[in-house]
Amino acid sequence: MLVLLAVHALAAVLAPSLVRALGRRALYLLALAPAAALGWALTTATATETHPWVPQLGLEVALHMGALGRLMVVLVGGVGALVLAYSARYFAPDDAGLGRFAALFVAFAGAMLGLVVADDLLLLYVFWELTTVLSYLLIGHDAARRAGRRAALQALLVTTFGGLAMLVGFIVLGEHAGSYRWSVIAGDLPSGPLLTVAAVLILLGALSKSALVPFQFWLPAAMAAPTPVSAYLHAAAMVKAGVFLVALLTPAFAVSAVWQAVAVTAGLATLLYGGWRALREHDLKLLLAYGTVSQLGLLVAVLGTGTRTAALAGAAMVLAHALFKSALFLVVGVVDHVTGTRDLRELSGLGRRMPALAAVGVLAAASMAGLPPLAGFVGKEAVFAAFATGAPLDTAVLAGLVAGSALTVAYSARFVWGAFGGAKPSEALPPGPALLAPAALLAAAGLAAGLAAPVVDGLLAPYAAGLPGPGYHLALWHGLSVPLGLSAVAVTAGAAVFAATRRRSRDAAERPPAGTAAYDRLMHGVDRLAVELTGATQRGSLPFYLGVILLVMVVLAGVALLAGAPWPVALRPWDTPLQAVVGAVVAVAAIGAARAHRRLTAMILVGVAGYAVAVLFILHGAPDLALTQALVETATIVMFVLVLRRLPATFSERPLRGSRLVRVAIGVAVGAVAAAMAYVAAAGRQARPVSLGFPDLAVSYGGGDNVVNVILVDIRAWDTMGEISVLVVAATGVASLIFRRSADLRQRAPAPPPGPGTGWLRTATGAAQQSIVLQVVTRLIFHVIVLFSLYLLFSGHDAPGGGFAGGLVAALALAVRYLAGGRDELNAAAPVDAGKVLGTGLFVSVGTGLAALPFGGQILQSAIVDLHLPVLGHVHLVTSTFFDIGVYLIVVGLVLDILRSLGAEMDRQMSEPEEAA
Amino acid sequence: MTPRLRRRNRIVAVAGLVAVWLLLWGSFTPLTLAGGIVLALVVLAVFPLPPVTFAGRLRPWPIAVFTALFLRDLLLASAQIAWLAIRPGPPPRSAIIAVPLRVGSDLNLTLTAEAVSLIPGSLIVEADRRTGTLYVHVLGVTGPAGVERARAGVLDLEARIVRAIGSAAELAALDPEGAPR
Repeated sequence: MLVLLAVHALAAVLAPSLVRALGRRALYLLALAPAAALGWALTTATATETHPWVPQLGLEVALHMGALGRLMVVLVGGVGALVLAYSARYFAPDDAGLGRFAALFVAFAGAMLGLVVADDLLLLYVFWELTTVLSYLLIGHDAARRAGRRAALQALLVTTFGGLAMLVGFIVLGEHAGSYRWSVIAGDLPSGPLLTVAAVLILLGALSKSALVPFQFWLPAAMAAPTPVSAYLHAAAMVKAGVFLVALLTPAFAVSAVWQAVAVTAGLATLLYGGWRALREHDLKLLLAYGTVSQLGLLVAVLGTGTRTAALAGAAMVLAHALFKSALFLVVGVVDHVTGTRDLRELSGLGRRMPALAAVGVLAAASMAGLPPLAGFVGKEAVFAAFATGAPLDTAVLAGLVAGSALTVAYSARFVWGAFGGAKPSEALPPGPALLAPAALLAAAGLAAGLAAPVVDGLLAPYAAGLPGPGYHLALWHGLSVPLGLSAVAVTAGAAVFAATRRRSRDAAERPPAGTAAYDRLMHGVDRLAVELTGATQRGSLPFYLGVILLVMVVLAGVALLAGAPWPVALRPWDTPLQAVVGAVVAVAAIGAARAHRRLTAMILVGVAGYAVAVLFILHGAPDLALTQALVETATIVMFVLVLRRLPATFSERPLRGSRLVRVAIGVAVGAVAAAMAYVAAAGRQARPVSLGFPDLAVSYGGGDNVVNVILVDIRAWDTMGEISVLVVAATGVASLIFRRSADLRQRAPAPPPGPGTGWLRTATGAAQQSIVLQVVTRLIFHVIVLFSLYLLFSGHDAPGGGFAGGLVAALALAVRYLAGGRDELNAAAPVDAGKVLGTGLFVSVGTGLAALPFGGQILQSAIVDLHLPVLGHVHLVTSTFFDIGVYLIVVGLVLDILRSLGAEMDRQMSEPEEAA
Repeated sequence: MTPRLRRRNRIVAVAGLVAVWLLLWGSFTPLTLAGGIVLALVVLAVFPLPPVTFAGRLRPWPIAVFTALFLRDLLLASAQIAWLAIRPGPPPRSAIIAVPLRVGSDLNLTLTAEAVSLIPGSLIVEADRRTGTLYVHVLGVTGPAGVERARAGVLDLEARIVRAIGSAAELAALDPEGAPR
């Protein structure tokens, strides 16, 4: 079975290229995939396969095909192959969406196949959602049509909602029963209230997927899909998923009265509603859609009952319905194809002009109406027999079923009359045999299944075997029995209804399916709620956001601290008094920054605090950290200055006194909580720190003397990997915020440098706003800075430095070039798109990590290479250096991106009005 | 520029970078030397910049004089600024003065500006490339005499720099008789 799934997946992947190469004919080739499933199911009775998947979660690809699964595989594969063959003629040869359609369709067939053979409930859910998503894409085949998009979204939302409920139901059931393998838990399902909850939730999923009341409205809307999609998804396959689920679970769930009650009630309501609506439609496809809704109701009602006869009848009806309904859809597709309309008020005389098409349509419609000797008749007889027990409840259901059958007869007649009746001659050309053949085959299969009822009985009986009830057998002739009488009643009544509604229906107003209004109201409510919620929380006020974030931190951390953090008793004020001095500098600078009126002053004071923190690091004996902190602080100041150019020199009007007090209070609280957290956290350690072994490991394992750097690029390289990924995302975000139009974004790719200027830099012009002093100094020290950055990069493994610090230094060199010579100089210095530098960096880092795999190592595992070269001497090389090179490039790319965005692009935007004038 | 000059420029640049590289590593081994040469060439190739035209020459004795006097100025000015900062009284008066340099080359302008800026109490506000004029902000200046003293100090500094590294033509420009401005 896994092989079959793989074949479908492969076919789906290859489909677009095949269609490009072969055109429509490729669909015949692709039809081999579902055909293979059909062939396999026809020759295999039962099968079980188990493959490991996610052992940590206890998930495995457990596949099982029993009698029910076999029936479904036959339908999914057989109908799928025929519909694909039909599509090869249905679509225009130059249809641009054909490759997409083919891929999605085959993928859908594969997902459906997986759904019906999945034994693990969670696996079943995965396939279930796959069919939902693929059906969304298939319904929206023509993305340019609004109705198609709307219908696709509606189907997606409704079935996903049901799917989620079902997932919860599965989990309740799985945890309740202790296993997710249906073949394991089906035998002895422990009863209890949890089982009822699970039953209701799972039924919710099944009802939404199979478009039962109250979810019926999405299916008629989904008729916006191309007809082959409707024929497959909305007749034979996807909507059958819900029916299949009911059929699968009923034998075990029938003990739950709720299951039975919900399934039968919803089923009967849907049966009658769908039949009634089908009589009022003018569009043949919508008529069939409501007919499908009606039939799905019948199937769920019968399959949810849980007696042996009902189960057998339901299975027979599933088969019959799939055959006649997909045939009918294909016939409608042909009618649409040759006449250009599906409106039965406009169609006339098609029966005389195209007898072959009419014969196929009539045969399939007769099966739908339940006329002998077709499969529909055999199924309906069995359905009536299942409820003809004389028990009051059964009799009530039986009455509903007969009424539903009468409606079915009526709309079947209406279909035939509407599509083929009438005397007006038609101008349309008859379809070719290739277009008609799939429908004819399906209709003929319905006839064959009816005639060979005993064979079908033999195949389906194992499914119903375990259930209570008399030993009924599918057959064309049971003698003069109650069911036969009821059939006669239904046909007669149906004919009468058709005769009565035939005239009136022509005046019936076209209305959207019931439930659409409720859906619309719900969606509108959700939209409204989203808007209100966004309006209430996202007010666009930065102080408000900051306040909320900080308050949350104060409350969470503060409560945790007060609630029982182990407060250390011993207090050591400082290691050296110098720390107190530096700490005081930080505090004074911070307070000064908060009180500053000029933005530049505030920025400089923040910088002072930052550099002082770097000094604190040095006093702590962490030169690496101090170096990085100082560099980051410098880079930050450059960026601040770039931003400050666009802001007023002083802060805006101070807020009111009350609001100011609140701010001060929040600030003080945050400071106090943060300090307390640091104090408690540092002293709260209970276990031996894992980092105690790092110094030794760094040398023996990482091949470097600088523990900090080895931690970054080796011991905890995964952390670094995450961080640099965030950096790349942040850089992209900055660029996309500043470059407001995508046309501007392309300008990140630099312009060619203009002619010579002052001669000190490549593009500097000597204009008044450029400083000659800065240019000369830049010229003299630029290469030295870059060399120093490389030194930091390469020495980082053994001495303070590393890719991050080196990258910052190189980036600062570029920043100096920008400050000295403007944006043209920056482009001349780094004539590359920042995005490419970022991408290359990430590629190098990830590539280094992956490079360990072919050598049998783990991802990001580093190797130490010691070489003795002639002349040069001993070379000590650690592969993690390459990882560091990636980090270096990413940092350079990030700063380049920011310089281009906040610097160059803002220069351009600021100068734009002048240029325009 | 002749190819020979260009080659000389390139060699000077590489040699300078290699020297920096060796100093950074703090060791002179074949490996660091080779690595330095390779990286210097790579850096120069990846980030090309216009060649520096240095017409002057290095004179050891004037360089030593410049260094010694610069350090003396540094110390003296530091003490003065410290006193200005802590002494009682109103804030010190300051002035922005224009100093037209006698040698108006970009390099001289820059070096003088940097040296002036490094000495506490004086700061370059603006350097006018066209006229070769530095605009210096000087702290603690009172009266025209103080302004003239500060201007003379800047010019002295310029003269010492030109004597240390200037070309013969630039040396000549220092002599007001030879090149009247």
